[in-house]
Formats: sequence, C-alpha cells, structure tokens
Amino acid sequence: MGSKVNRSFYGYIFVAPFFIGFAVFGLMPILYTLYLSFMKWDGFSDPVYVGLANYSRLLHDSFFYQTIGNTLIIWIMSNVPQLILSVLLALVLNERFIRGKHFFRAVYFFPHIITPVTLGVIFSLMFDWQTGTINKLLMSLGIIHDPVNWFNSPWWSRIIASGVICWQYFGFNMIVFIAGLQSIPREVYEAAEVDGATKKQTALHITLPLLRPVFLFVFITSVIGGLQLFDAPLMLGDGPGNSSRTMVMYLYETAFKNFDYSYGAAVAYGIFFVVMFFTAITAKASKLKD
Amino acid sequence: MKTKKWLMMVLSVLLIGSILAGCGSKASDSGNTASGGESGNAAESGELKGHLVIWTFFDQVKDMADQFHAKNPGVTVDVKMFPGDQYQTKLLTALQSGRDVPDIFDLERGYIGKFIDSKFLTDLSAMGAEDLVKDYIPYVQELGRSQDGKLRAISDHSSPGGFWYQRDTAKKYLGTDDPDKISDMVSSWDKIVELGKKVAADSGGKVHMIQNTGDLFDIEAYNTQPWVKDGKLNIDPKWQTIYQTQLDIRKNNVDAKLPFMSAGWGNALNDGSVVLTSMPAWAGFMVDNKDDKAKGKYGVAKTPEGFYSGGTYRGIYDKSKNKDLAYEFIKYIASEEWQQHNLEKTGNMPGNSKVYEANLDTYKSPLFGDENVLKPYYETVVKIPAAKADKYGEDIMSKWRKVAGDGVTNNRSYDDVVNNFKKEVKNAFPELNVD
Repeated sequence: MGSKVNRSFYGYIFVAPFFIGFAVFGLMPILYTLYLSFMKWDGFSDPVYVGLANYSRLLHDSFFYQTIGNTLIIWIMSNVPQLILSVLLALVLNERFIRGKHFFRAVYFFPHIITPVTLGVIFSLMFDWQTGTINKLLMSLGIIHDPVNWFNSPWWSRIIASGVICWQYFGFNMIVFIAGLQSIPREVYEAAEVDGATKKQTALHITLPLLRPVFLFVFITSVIGGLQLFDAPLMLGDGPGNSSRTMVMYLYETAFKNFDYSYGAAVAYGIFFVVMFFTAITAKASKLKD
Repeated sequence: MKTKKWLMMVLSVLLIGSILAGCGSKASDSGNTASGGESGNAAESGELKGHLVIWTFFDQVKDMADQFHAKNPGVTVDVKMFPGDQYQTKLLTALQSGRDVPDIFDLERGYIGKFIDSKFLTDLSAMGAEDLVKDYIPYVQELGRSQDGKLRAISDHSSPGGFWYQRDTAKKYLGTDDPDKISDMVSSWDKIVELGKKVAADSGGKVHMIQNTGDLFDIEAYNTQPWVKDGKLNIDPKWQTIYQTQLDIRKNNVDAKLPFMSAGWGNALNDGSVVLTSMPAWAGFMVDNKDDKAKGKYGVAKTPEGFYSGGTYRGIYDKSKNKDLAYEFIKYIASEEWQQHNLEKTGNMPGNSKVYEANLDTYKSPLFGDENVLKPYYETVVKIPAAKADKYGEDIMSKWRKVAGDGVTNNRSYDDVVNNFKKEVKNAFPELNVD
C-alpha cells in the first residue's frame, strides 16, 4: 500500500459504530429537545409552535430560580467537605508505612458502588420523622426528647441531601487523588527530606502544588455532576417549600409528572446554560493562576 | 492484497450490520404482534377467533386473559406487562408514534384523566357498552367517561376503602370490636377527634386513633368539587373545614403521623399501635399473614365518608384492527361472571353492584373472620359522587396534599396554605385562571 498517509475509507467504517450510536442516542435527542422547546406539547395532542413562549416563561419562573439556588447550596455543602476529606484521606493512605491502607481504600470506595437511589432510600428511612433510626438513637441517648422532623426543615433537608452525596463520592475522589499523588516523582520528596523539610512542609509546598491538575479535574467533574444532582435528592423529596428540589428534579417533575414536555425541554436548556456558565467560570478561574 | 481488502470489507459490513440488527430486531418483532390477528369477524358464527394484545402494569390481567381464553379457545391473548411508573410514558410513546400499539391498554386512576379525552380511545358507547355498565357503581362507570359523556374505558372492579382495625386493640380502646358499632362511633371527624384524645390519654400517648391526618386527603379527594371548572381553579370551601379538622387531629395527638404505605405505617397496621387504618380493600397484602396468623384478626368499619383509592381501567385503541374482538374482551371483564371469579380468587371488589348484592351476606375473607366485609364497603361506595376524570384533577390534588400537608406540620393558617397552593398551581399549569 501507499507509503505516506493511508487515506483508506475503512477507518471511517471502523469509527462509525460510535458515531452512529452518538447520533441516534445523543445528538438526535439533543436536537429534538431543542425543537420541542419551541413548541407546546403535552404528549396527547399534536405539537403547536409557540416561539419563545417557553423561554420567557422560564425567565419569569421563580420556582426555577429557587431550584438553581438549591442546587448550588447542596453542591457547595456536599463538595467542600468531600474534597477536604478525600484529600486528607489520600495524603494519609498514600503514606508508605501505614497498615491496612489497601483495606481502607477499598472500604472508603464502597459507597460509590451503591446506586444513588438506594442511598436516597436508605437515608430517608434513617432520618424518618417517626420511625427513623437516627431519631430513635438520639432519643435513647437522651440528646433529644421529641423526634426531630428532619425533612420539615429546609436546612436539614439540604444537609441530609448533601451528606448523601458527600458520603457517596468522597471515596471516588480519594482514589483519584491517590493516583495523582503516586504520579509525583519520589525524587522530589527525597530532595525535600535531605533538605530537612517536615511532613507538613512537604505536604503544603510539594504535594498540594503538584496535585493541581488533579484538583482541576475533580473540580470540573464535580461542577458538572453536582449541578445535575437528581436521583438521591429525588428519593429524599422536595423538602418544605421545595427547599431541596434541584434543577433536574424540577425538569423531571415538569416533563414526566405534569406531562409538559415542551416546557420541560425549555427547562433542560435552561439547565444546560446554567451548567455551561459555572463550568466556564471554573475553567477561567483555574487558568487565572497560571 | 485483494483478499485483505475483501476481508476488511466483510468485517466492516458485519460490524455495522450487527449494530443495525441490534436496533432493528425489536421493532420488527413487535411489528408482528401489532399487525397480527385476523380480527374477530368470526363473532357471527358464535365462536370467536383471533389474537389480542393487551398492555398493562398489573399482573392479575394474566388471569383475566386466561379465563377469557378458556371461554374462547379460538382467541389468543397476549398480555404484556410493564410494571412500575414507566408504563404510562411507554404507552404514550407508543400511542404517539402509532407503531407497536396494543389493541387494549390499561389506564390507572392516577392518570386516566390525561388519556380519557385523547384521540387514542375508542368510543365504547357506540359499540353498546352503556348496557355493560348499567348496574355499575356510579363512580366506577363515570370515571371511564370523556368530557362529552361517552364511555371510553371500563373497569372490572371498584376500589372502596374503609377503616381496618385489629379486633383486640379496638376492644381495648373503643370497648367493642363490632363493625357496626364502630362505624357509628366514627361516623364523623369530630367524633374521631374526641375518641382519639381519649385513646391517646388512655395509652399514655403510645397508641393513636388514626395513622395520619393526611389520610383525610385520600378520603375527601373524591367527596369534594373538582379542582378545575371552566378553566378556572376551584377550591371547594369544604377544604377549609377539612384543613381545620386536620390541624385538630395533629394538635390533639390523634394521629401517629405515619404516611400511607410507609414502613412505620405497615408496622402499625400489624402491631396494633394505631386503632384505625384507612385502607383500600385491595391492600390486604400489607398484612403479615404468615402461617395464617392474621386470620380473623381484623375488622372493617365505615369511614365518615366513602372513599376509593386507585382503579384500573381498560380501553380499546382507536386504530386497532381488532376492535370487535377487543370489545368482546371488555364485555367479558364487565360481566358478573368474571367479577364473581375475581372476587373469589383475589378479593378484588367488583365494579358491578349486582355482584356486590349477590355476595353481601355470603362473602367472607380470611383476615376478617365472620364479618361480611362487603357490607361496609358497599354501603359507602355507592354514595361516592360520580365524577369524571380530567387532566388536572390528580396533579392538582397532589399539590394540595403537599402544600396543605406542609401547612399541618407547621401549623400554618388556611390563607397561607391557599396562597402557596395557588402559586404551585399557577406555576405548573399557567393556562389555568388561578385567582
């Protein structure tokens, strides 16, 4: 065959499966959603073109703004402790002479294997007002007298939702950080040791700066994932005054509970822009330091 | 070189082919079932022949199909079951695309209102179905009608509810376990609140009269005016009284604060820490009856107002090629014969009053010992107002549940509740006139 660049078209055929799959299951729905967002459609009658009506409704929808706020609050409350926890654990479990570190790495990773829906159900049972174990425990320890109605308080609802997410993902992020730590060359540490640096100094001045790319990765994925919070909070409910309803839960309720597919599509694009916005900010902020 | 080229070609074709086959096989499979069946024109000769496809979310439809098949061996009935919440989305998608659509499909009470006025359901009145429902419980037949009054779907059962109580708990706290006496004792909400205060005091707050003040939503949902009238939100003034009662119940420790079908609710039903549980007749599976240990343990009393919970309706797809045969099936499930069989086998309450009446003094259910359980149900279920289902009713009711339930927990004023409720409704259904 030719000696230079092989321009055989078979290559296209071999990459075709992915692109066909993406076109059918990815691109089509995205474009169809865009089309729907300009329509009025409840699934029963034929779609009617309404122009930007859905978007102007979205811009005036205080419930939607509330869900953006809720999502951000839950995201911050779950991610800040989660990142701190996973970095600390990664630093500890990356030490060479720690007993059972493989065991602990596995154990901390376990929650990640459980599906979020299951976690949501478990936590909602644990924090049940009348029959939950948490209340029973606190009451038998004498800390409280009457059971606390956790899900009747906006902040407790959000804290519990954040707790579930934090608990689920800290193990995964810990593994990512450990991988990052192991890619730092040992010579750097040895040099520091020779220079008489303490453990704290090495951690602060060598490890953390060299972990920056990993931080960036974890941060951006957590922005995208965190803003699309759905399954676990769904199992925990809307909360009092919809205080723990996230953006995607709102999308789900609009489209699949009220059968307002067209407005649901507009909400989906609204979420898309919100996520884009925050991802852009994150990316920008991380570049500023360069 | 040539062979290599060929090999590549064959390989890539295979690769793509296998993907396309993976996507396509399902469609062609189901295409067969949809078009299958040579319609029931054999009806004239007496024996039915053909093939029916039914979609449902409810596994007991299989028995229905078996019984129908036993009577009409020439008809094969293919029941496709899609359990869970996704059924209606799946059904709607199929109906929208017009491909792979069943001849008969089931609709649940919760969303029948959305489908009933759609173009997908055959007008059963025109096929003579008025005759099938002439002896029906009023509310059961009315729910299957579209806004123009035509029958579009028919159910084979009613789903009445009553207060279930454990006999020994009732004896201890109410002084009797006789269903008629208890029905009298709890014939109004005021009486229930008064009795409930006593129960709470007698038991030191350990035992409660009812499960949840939210149960009033279930009972009153179908005893109040529809939520939407002429495109306008309509809040029945009765809700104000009900809300006040709910606050009283909560304030006086009358309810155990356990939500319907939650784990704690199930425990209370089985261990007797709640005296009265408002239960639909079909929910007997929540009772732990291992080794018959719950035999004769329960009684049923009437609720202050009759109520029902759920219900499965069956309609014929408007473009089905098997309409006549499908109608025979609908006719069968509306018959006394099937409903009698169903009552005996599963304990599902009939939709036809005649079946109720024929069994009033004879039907017994193991959980309830000697009690004629059909009586309390029948006496209340016939009084439930007949109302049509519309596309808003159930959704708006669930918004009311959410907002008013929240109001009860936080002891809010009725005006606050109404304001929040209006906001929610306006947001979900901007086309409605809310003020």
